[in-house]
Parts: sequence; C-alpha cells; structure tokens
Amino acid sequence: MSEGLNYKFLVDTFFIALSGVPITLFVTAVALLVALPLGFLLALTRINQIPILNRFSQVYVSFVRGTPIIIQIFIVYASVPLILTAFVEKYNWNIQIYEINPIWYAFIVFSFSTTAILIEVFRSALSTVNKGQLEAAQAVGLTNFQAYRRIVIPQAMVVALPNICTATVNLIKATSLGYAMSLQEITLKAKVAANVGYNYVEAYLDIFLVYIILCSLVEFGFKLYEKRLRKYKYVSA
Amino acid sequence: MGYAGSLSSFLERGIIFNMEKYFDASYIWSSLPALLPFLKVTFLVAGLSIVFGTFFGLILAVMKLGKNQLARKLANFYTTILRCTPSIVLLFLVYYGVPALADNFGLYLHDINTAVFVIITFTLQFAAIMSEVIRSAYESIEKGQFEAAVSVGLSPFQAYRRIIFPQALVVALPNFGNGMIALLQEGSLAYTIGLIDVVGKANLIIAANYNSHALEIFISLAIIYWILSLLIEKAFRILEKMFSKGKQTIKTM
Repeated sequence: MSEGLNYKFLVDTFFIALSGVPITLFVTAVALLVALPLGFLLALTRINQIPILNRFSQVYVSFVRGTPIIIQIFIVYASVPLILTAFVEKYNWNIQIYEINPIWYAFIVFSFSTTAILIEVFRSALSTVNKGQLEAAQAVGLTNFQAYRRIVIPQAMVVALPNICTATVNLIKATSLGYAMSLQEITLKAKVAANVGYNYVEAYLDIFLVYIILCSLVEFGFKLYEKRLRKYKYVSA
Repeated sequence: MGYAGSLSSFLERGIIFNMEKYFDASYIWSSLPALLPFLKVTFLVAGLSIVFGTFFGLILAVMKLGKNQLARKLANFYTTILRCTPSIVLLFLVYYGVPALADNFGLYLHDINTAVFVIITFTLQFAAIMSEVIRSAYESIEKGQFEAAVSVGLSPFQAYRRIIFPQALVVALPNFGNGMIALLQEGSLAYTIGLIDVVGKANLIIAANYNSHALEIFISLAIIYWILSLLIEKAFRILEKMFSKGKQTIKTM
C-alpha cells in the first residue's frame, strides 16, 4: 500500500462499481414503489386513529427507527428461509430455498424499513394541511377520495417532498449493506474486485465516488420536481 | 479481511444448520447476559464520537454562519459529501485509507486499535450532522434577541451565553437526540472491521454455536438497540421540557 495509489486499478474499478448501479437503483425503486402507497395508507390510519392499525403502525415505526438496518437484514435473512421451510414442508411446494436470488431479501428488508420512515413523513405532511381544506372540499361536493386526490395530497406533497428526498438518499445509502445478503450492488462488486490484489483503498474511493454522484443526481432530481410542485404551496395571508 | 467478507457465507451456513434445530425463543433471553457487558464498548465508541463530533460540528457551524465565503463553501461541501456517503463505505475508507495515508508521512498505523478507526469515522459523520443541527438552531433565534441583549448593556459574549444559547439549545435538543440515535445505529457497523462491541460479540457467539440459533441472537440484539433508542428518545423529551421552561410560544389550541 505504501507505493501509493494504483491508478489503473482505480479507473477500472470505478466502472466495475458503476456496473452495480442498476441493481442499487432497482432495489431502491421497488422499495419505494411498495413503501409509498403502504406508508401513505398507514399514515392515514395514524391520522384518523383507526383503532388497531393505528397502534400497529406506531409500534412498527418505533421498531424500525429503533433498530439498525444491518440487524433488520440479519433478522430477515435468518428468518425468511425458516418460515419458507415450514411452508414448503407443509404444502410440498417445489422451491429451492437456498437458491432464491438475494434480491428478494433486499426487496423485503428495504421495503419494510422505508415504509416505516414514510409513515412518519406522510403523517407529519398530512397534519400540516389545514383541516378546513378537507371540509371545504367536502362542502363543495367532492367525495372523500376526490378531496384527498385534488386538494389534500397536492398540498401535503409540497411538505413531504424534501423528506421523501432524504428518505430516498438514505435508502440508496442503506442498499450498500446489501453485501451482507450477497446482493451484487456497488459496494460488493468493487470489493470483490479489490480482493484479488488487496487494493482496498482504491476500491473504497471508487465506491465513495459512485455514491456521491448517485446521491447528488437524486437530490438534483428532487429539487427540480420540488420547483414544479411549488405552485400548490399554501400561502397564508 | 475479517468479518466483512465471511458474513454472508456464514449466514448461509447458519440457515442450513438452522433447518434441523428450529426456532427456540429461550435463546433470546439467555444470550442477553453474554451480550450486555459488551455495550460498554458500544457506549465508549459512541460517546467519544459524540464528544469529538460535536466539537468538530461546532467549528463547521461557525464556518457556515461566518462571513468568509471560502470557509462557508468548504463547510457546506463537507456536509454534502458526508450526507451522500454510506457509513460502511466511510468506515472502510478510514480503515484502509488512514494507515495508507500515514505511510506517506512515515507513520506506521497498521496495528493500532480498530476502535480508533471507528471513532474517527463516526466523528466525521456526527460532525456533519451536528453542524446542521447547530446552524439551524442558531438561525431559528431572531437577530433582535441579540440586539436587544446588547442594547441593555450585555457584552456580546454574555448575550450569546445568556440569551442566544439557552434558546438555541431548546431548538437543537430534539435534533441532537435524533442524531445520537442515528449514530448509535450506524455504530452497529463497527463489527465489520473487527470491533468487538455488542454486534461483534453476537457474531462471535453465533460462530461458537456453529451458526445455530442465529435468529434468536439477532432478535435479542434488536431488542437491546430498540430499548436504547427509546431511552434516548425519552431522556431528550425530559431534557427538552426542562430547558424550555422560559420559552414563550404562541398557543393556538
């Protein structure tokens, strides 16, 4: 290591790390697609205080916020095969449990944790919308669904968007822990390349660069969208 | 390479072993006495990172709030970069990078305690969080407060200490608490470079059990972290109440 950086390796590995980006983005996209609607619905149960679901969401959010993601990964990665084994034995399904693509575990873990984060994001965003907005919408004859879709959600989205951006960036960062499930994403790909010649400093520099580029792009995208949404912003007189 | 490389493979083995021996909830409780003493290491590492990180964060916040363009840009750049870096990547970058960098200056740092690398990593990260916490707390206090304090004859230092600081503290407390919880959780990754904290110990226990009952031990880890986070949250809520005694807010309800 004392001979300084191996620049050829640095450049080559950068592209290897870059080739992990699609998997990272795929996992992020699936997690968000699951978490956005589910988080919104569970946030509604918190706002409207629906008896059992409200309590459930509360405990769920508290658990996810209170435990490290790596431990959530450990638990899912150790428990899901156990549960599946029980089902396979009971119903004689024809599944090879140890050949399941690790990406399925990644979907489960990251959807699970992102949903909890988004419940809180939507809950706080919805509570910033004045109650009178919903009542006024109902008074002019909109149905509950229409009132939410046309009046409440656009206003809540303005407040929620910066927090959704933070949640997305955190999610992308968290997928770097996918290596624990042998998920072929940025970190694992570059690390495996480094294993050959012990070029860890170069490999981690590459990984570092790729995440910075990725997250900056995501943040930039959200900023653009935020600008478009700003027209719905409620301005108090 | 230590734990990082072997983790996934040993988890796979663990699952195969687990097939014959089913889930046994009693392991969740029986592993707690073995794990809890190692919280000391977790607390030590987290505590030192908080102390150094807060100090470094304060410097960054001063840079951000000051008039020097270059200092402000540098501090903002630092925060942006750190916000975009996964803890695990930063951890390994420090673990491999710092000794390699020290080599160039003729220092040999390859066999210092891994805890040092962990503390460096989380100090860097916590500083970025704290600089934002301090900046937003400071900016939430109206300028008029300082001006009024100075106009009644307080020195600028007194004005900061007696008027600005107590008010900014109340604003900063909840964010400081959240930062601490985040730090505690990210700290759980320290096992990847071989630190024997609670998570490291849990992995040792699992390895000593020939990878059986891994799930139960992971659950007891989750319980430990969950309780710690709830305690921190509770403590900060009490502190917030204590310090917001003199706060005047507009009551709408």
